Amino acid sequence: MDALERRIADLRAEVRRAVKAREHSLARSLRGELRRMEHEWDRAVGAEELPAPEPEAPLLPIREQVHQALALLGVPAAPKLIVAVNDAFFSRALRGSQFTSLRRDEERSFRSDPYARPYYLCSALTDRLSPARGLLAVSTWAPELRVLGPLSPRVDFLTSAVRVAEHLARLPEPPPGAVRLLTRMAQNIPGAAEGFAPADPVTAIRAARAELEVHRAADAAQRAEVAARAGRLLPDVERLFGAAALGALRGAAC
Amino acid sequence: MSTLTALARLKAVRDGTAQRITTVRHCHLAPRPMVFVPLQLAGEALAPLGAMVGADPDHPRLLVVPQPRNRDLRFAFAAELAEVLLPYVEGFAKTTETVERRGGDPYERCLDAPQILVPNRSAAAFAGLLGRSTRFRRADGPYPVHPSVPLLGRWLTYFADRSRRPGSCLMMSMTEALSAHWATGQSALEDANLAALVGWIDPPAGMDGRRAAEEAEDPLLWPPAGPATDPGFDNEVLGPAVRAYEEAPTARAVERVAQALRTQLEPTWRLMWRAVELLRALPEGSRVAGRWETDRGSFTRFLELVAEGGPPQARRDGAVGAAARLAALERARASYDVQRAYDDPLVMAEYRLTGEAFTGTVVSADPENTEGEGRSRKLRPLVTVRTADPARLTPGAVLGSPDRRGHAAEVVEVDGDEITLKVTKGMGRGKVAAPGAVPEPGERVTYTTLTDDFQSSAALPEPERTPWTHGGPPEEYVPDDDDAREEWS
Amino acid sequence: MRGRLDELRGPVPPRAHDARAIAALAANPGCARRAVLDAAGVDKDLTARHVGFPAPFGQSQFAITRGNVFEALVKENGCAELLRLLRELLGLPIAQVGYQDVESVGSHLRHSHTRALIDRAAREGDDAAVFYDHPLLSLRIAGQTSYLEPDVVAFQVGGRFHIVEIKSFAVIDGQAEPEKVAAAARQAAVYVLALRALLADLGHDPERVSHDVVLVCPENFANRPVATLVDVRRQLAVLRRQLDRMTRVDHLVEELPPGITFDLAPDSEGTPTRPAREVAGALRQVPARYAPDCLSTCDMCMFCRDEARCGGSTDQLGRQVRDQLGGVLGVDEALALAEGAAEPAEGQEEIAQLLRLAHRLREECLG
Repeated sequence: MDALERRIADLRAEVRRAVKAREHSLARSLRGELRRMEHEWDRAVGAEELPAPEPEAPLLPIREQVHQALALLGVPAAPKLIVAVNDAFFSRALRGSQFTSLRRDEERSFRSDPYARPYYLCSALTDRLSPARGLLAVSTWAPELRVLGPLSPRVDFLTSAVRVAEHLARLPEPPPGAVRLLTRMAQNIPGAAEGFAPADPVTAIRAARAELEVHRAADAAQRAEVAARAGRLLPDVERLFGAAALGALRGAAC
Repeated sequence: MSTLTALARLKAVRDGTAQRITTVRHCHLAPRPMVFVPLQLAGEALAPLGAMVGADPDHPRLLVVPQPRNRDLRFAFAAELAEVLLPYVEGFAKTTETVERRGGDPYERCLDAPQILVPNRSAAAFAGLLGRSTRFRRADGPYPVHPSVPLLGRWLTYFADRSRRPGSCLMMSMTEALSAHWATGQSALEDANLAALVGWIDPPAGMDGRRAAEEAEDPLLWPPAGPATDPGFDNEVLGPAVRAYEEAPTARAVERVAQALRTQLEPTWRLMWRAVELLRALPEGSRVAGRWETDRGSFTRFLELVAEGGPPQARRDGAVGAAARLAALERARASYDVQRAYDDPLVMAEYRLTGEAFTGTVVSADPENTEGEGRSRKLRPLVTVRTADPARLTPGAVLGSPDRRGHAAEVVEVDGDEITLKVTKGMGRGKVAAPGAVPEPGERVTYTTLTDDFQSSAALPEPERTPWTHGGPPEEYVPDDDDAREEWS
Repeated sequence: MRGRLDELRGPVPPRAHDARAIAALAANPGCARRAVLDAAGVDKDLTARHVGFPAPFGQSQFAITRGNVFEALVKENGCAELLRLLRELLGLPIAQVGYQDVESVGSHLRHSHTRALIDRAAREGDDAAVFYDHPLLSLRIAGQTSYLEPDVVAFQVGGRFHIVEIKSFAVIDGQAEPEKVAAAARQAAVYVLALRALLADLGHDPERVSHDVVLVCPENFANRPVATLVDVRRQLAVLRRQLDRMTRVDHLVEELPPGITFDLAPDSEGTPTRPAREVAGALRQVPARYAPDCLSTCDMCMFCRDEARCGGSTDQLGRQVRDQLGGVLGVDEALALAEGAAEPAEGQEEIAQLLRLAHRLREECLG
């Protein structure tokens, strides 16, 4: 056991020396060796300990959890917000890393068997018709909702704040996590929250709608234009998942 | 930096070992100091990672935060630190002395005070930040913490504040304390590395200071003294350990992080105690005890303030408070400089070099010389000193001397290398000067224009009368829940 | 000239500078070694490692993660946090919220897309977007193009462009570490310069780029961002001057012995094959001006420090010590003067006298 610990300490030092010298392959092999030793050490000390329990399989598939959160928000959203909504209202633990393959899987499924599923988690499209980085949408939404103009990020943020507040107001016992989420959002909307105090849903809704009024018409016009262009230029699959960058140039306005 | 210290650095380069720049120790060293070596997570404003703390070199307490981004674990760290620090600090409240004051009521002062030693300036700043982040917390209301946490915060704030005050030794940075006594053969910037600094002062057998310092720069041999950790350690050792804890927060995972931190803290811990011994080996300067008395007085007052339930220190000073603090720091700096010179011929030599002091031999003396007639007739003994120092003095300049307390003289004439002075103070009340009060021919004497009696600071208004041009009176601190709610992520 | 610089570097593409590296160019303007290596685009990091003096730099994964997380937080939901800050700080009108992610075109088109968007913004004024996320600017330095990625370019406040710099160091009770703010300001100045160059190139008034940059940092111990305007006019002036010098490295290069090169002769995998001694020899032919500050800014620092130490230069002790030695450059020389073992050269009389007195006083007190 002592020898094992000494070996681990030595290996750590060697790894760091290798990293410092930028000998990446050496560092990698040393790291591998280090992990093996650490596992051996873990086994040696923890022979009597039970292995960590497997994380419980979620009752609902991930795509359905994401769909539920998106349905609540009603606008394209980034994984971080989806995770926050899922956590705040449904007390489920999603992780950002679970999103990486989600969109690709959906696209693959759509390509192999179009419209076989009732909905697909798809991309929001930029005004160049390319997929917007990191934003998810639902295929059943109106095309105008699935595309973005320059004002849309703000409009969608305000809309999602309204939706979160409305949902919160309906709950007899608002979960503290959801109140915190709304408070954080409201702090970035003029007149929606006061200092660090928990946000009041009614105030937040009123404030968010007031700002929405300022942007709504211009945003709707821009979105309608982009959506029309997407409908005209893109095949079905790209209308959902976005055009590849070069393809988008064909129809780009600028 | 003086030419004298620059020269000492040059000698250190040549000799391969640090050179003394004082003849005595100018800081107080407690019989039982508490050493505090904190580490913090890179990239965060204040995420304690762990610490080694204690007053017994052989039994440090290791504090560990297995996931430094977790707010609750941070407060648990603070509570644990309080468990070590507060009993140590409060232990000094028990024994006090009564101090008589001229023209005032006598008051109580603790016989001794705590001394906290940290590796460097950044560690003291870390203590200040930890104090700032904990002193407003509350044991009730939202996000309650252990009652010891806000108390710890107030004490850490106090200590970190004092550590910025020249001459105060309640919280001391070790690299600063060592650098004040030794000159190394490297730059001041490199002296901030405790291991390198100790390497220059006390290299291991068979190695010179330069070599020892170079070795000390290898983070694998000598982990940095914190609070910042070595990036290589973060990436290769700490990162995986913290991730393992995140995946399964078992006792074993905590132990793995603890083990990792121990490797980074232990060398510094030993170094701190070695540094204590190095400093202890120097004889103490005669004015150190007086400054420590000031520290004890300050400590006692803060102790009383806490006991009376005063509010925690404000986030920022008001205009008057800030001005008063600056003035106090300036006075402390000037007084500390003068006291060191009076205590230490090697420090005084810096002023001899610049002409603000001289040392020489008395060539003649007229101890019975007087000035004036009748009732205003005063004893003004004359002394002529020959010196090889390049003194820059003009007639009328007032001088003090480290040789005689309370002694003062005035320059009468400068003639080549001979300076004639008349003694104006420190001769006793008699018609003739008290024995020994006037230097005699053949005696070696030192005189300087430096004096320790400073004019009291410019009058500042009371804080509640701060003019509106300076922001008006500061708001009185009222604890509220927002302090506790202030996110700490 | 370009050909001579290519020769110095050897047959590898010139090392591009990022904003931090460009900002660091201004750190030690008097150093010829650094000026030549940078102008030639030499990989200083690789060179220093090859000659056995790797720089003691490294970045903790925790710091990197923290930086990324904070930047994402400031930018999420269409820069909602940043919008709040700009409304508070600059009085941005409520209607101005447009957001453009330049990166949506794919990385190879980012630079031209940035140009097009900035051009359109400068023409259209009010109707243009406020935020340009992931822009890619460029700057020509000594004949090579460096590509630069400011965090965000903000437009629309009074028709002016502002560089937004997002940093994860904290502002606590209204105060941040001055060195970190200074470093951020130097870096932001590089972006201001690049954006001004772009506007000028497009035929717009370069002064439409504000010299006030928006510095966004977390406040106190939380993640909540707070913004401050930082005036970078001074940093811009220093930077311009230094870039100017770099384009005038000609005379430095002309003074170099013919045939000198810093070529590492890398093999197919990029591993240097040229003997380290040869490379070190070439480096020593270009004079450096080492100062301990280099230890935090320059990849060559350990090599130059070693050189200063071996050569017995007083540079190794820092400027504070040098200032006390009145132009005496060598450790041995200064000691010889102090100990009376050498007679002062012309002009050294005064410092020699001071050093001798200092020596006498030390002897007297410690003796």
